[in-house]
Amino acid sequence: MTAMPPADAPERPASFPAAYYRHSPNTYSNAGFELGRKLFHDPLLSVNNTVSCASCHKQEFAFSDGGVSFSKGINGQTGKRNAPAIFNMAWNTSFMWDGGVNNLEVMPLAPLTNPAEMGETIKHIVYKLNRAPEYPALFKNVFHRDSIDDQQMFWALAQYMSNLVSAHSKYDRVMAGEEKFTQEEQDGYALFKTNCASCHKEPLFTDYSFQNNGIDATFADSGRYRVTQNAVDIGKFKVPALRNVAVTYPYMHDGRFATLNEVLKHYTSGVIPSSTLSDKLIKNGKPGLALTNEEQSKVIAFLHTLTDSTLINNSNYKQ
Amino acid sequence: MAAIGAMFSSCEKSPTITAPANGTVKMQFTYVWGKNETPLTLEQKVVQEKTGDTLIFTNIRYYVSNIKLKRADGVWWSMPDSYFLLDAQSAEASTITIPDVPFMNYTAVQYTMGVDSLHNVSGAQTGALSLQNGMFWDWNSGYIMMKAEGRSPNSPTGSFALHMGGFSGPYNVVTVNTAEFGKTMQIGNGANPTITMVTNPSKLWDNAPSVSVNSVIHMPGAYAVAMAKSFYGGIYLSAISK
Repeated sequence: MTAMPPADAPERPASFPAAYYRHSPNTYSNAGFELGRKLFHDPLLSVNNTVSCASCHKQEFAFSDGGVSFSKGINGQTGKRNAPAIFNMAWNTSFMWDGGVNNLEVMPLAPLTNPAEMGETIKHIVYKLNRAPEYPALFKNVFHRDSIDDQQMFWALAQYMSNLVSAHSKYDRVMAGEEKFTQEEQDGYALFKTNCASCHKEPLFTDYSFQNNGIDATFADSGRYRVTQNAVDIGKFKVPALRNVAVTYPYMHDGRFATLNEVLKHYTSGVIPSSTLSDKLIKNGKPGLALTNEEQSKVIAFLHTLTDSTLINNSNYKQ
Repeated sequence: MAAIGAMFSSCEKSPTITAPANGTVKMQFTYVWGKNETPLTLEQKVVQEKTGDTLIFTNIRYYVSNIKLKRADGVWWSMPDSYFLLDAQSAEASTITIPDVPFMNYTAVQYTMGVDSLHNVSGAQTGALSLQNGMFWDWNSGYIMMKAEGRSPNSPTGSFALHMGGFSGPYNVVTVNTAEFGKTMQIGNGANPTITMVTNPSKLWDNAPSVSVNSVIHMPGAYAVAMAKSFYGGIYLSAISK
């Protein structure tokens, strides 16, 4: 499980299904990954050179904005949704809480240009990159073109994100037979499989579907409906991957729950019925999962085994 | 030189001549307004006959792609990688150049208004399809196939911004048009014709309400389909010049 990936290939764990993102025509290279890493951490990508991707996607929180419901963009502005964690992006079939973005390469377009986030134009980023002392040679080394264009920038960022892979948690070691769960974790895993895994599907801990998980009865943020304009999607949001969930607090699309305790309490006693509520959250005709306080603690103990210290500490992911 | 040589040796049975050169076709999109088809430019005040709206366009940009020419034998020749972002601000920015067309007689041109679905899901592109052109929705992936923006006293905000796109399902606006030449047209071997296409932006409102009701479109939907399809469907070939 800890073997290094072969040279110039992104990490693709044997225990995972085939990645959704294909490096074609965006051929992966280690130099491309390193260029993407530099861009990801460079505030030059924002209009006033103050905010980088890494400002709100911090490695120590599995590339989320730990403890912050709404991240701060340029001039301290805030948005309306919680910054999602960035790992295992190559397996995502869509991006953003509402799934509105269809390709890893175009995912950064929104945060780069949103006036409350990085506030730049793509044209001006390309202009700045071409004038920066270090970038032209780095891009030429990877893409072999005469000058930097926006496709190369998006490709380099995609190469970096495609290789931010989380597959080295205790859960993974247990599945590989290298380690054992404690009794509490083992019990939590069994409860998780019965109650949670239909949406948070192993081994990526999401099925990439959109669900209304009963946090509201009326929806200030209509979620998936914003994209599809289909009434069956009102109040639905993407099922987040639960790997590293212990460090990606706060929770839900608006960061309303600060702790896993609050999340489990919601699923057992806080689920609010509405017309689009996920039928997976209705047990014995009543909304909510039937988990005792003790069982909730066991599930949380299991969720902590999904924390991947390799992802959080990997020096190759740092600038 | 080869042609002169061929003339002098015309009595020989098999003269040696070089292959006739490929040609270049230009496709120029022009702009007219209303039933009378008066010439239209940006910043010109016009009245839409059906809605009664007074409109001043400040920006009309749209994609034309996947250019094909029909040979006299019925086989289609396709221009590779043909994606164009046209802009009504000038004749030059409204003209597509189709280079390297094989010497042949042709009878029709086929072109797609908009960008095919594949290129809406294929990530970062270059040239006309570059994300830096501001013609791609960042929050709901897909190309804005056409932008029609301007000012209008009939709009509650004083302006209108109609961004039409959508590449799948009921909200697909992408339209394949074919224009017959009505004759055979030689391309190549010295013939480099220009095809003039006529677009009529007043047709945007043929099946859509006044800007007093609908002054902003920013995503795929029924209005985008109604407006784009009416506009695309009204485009016609008016002339072929040699």
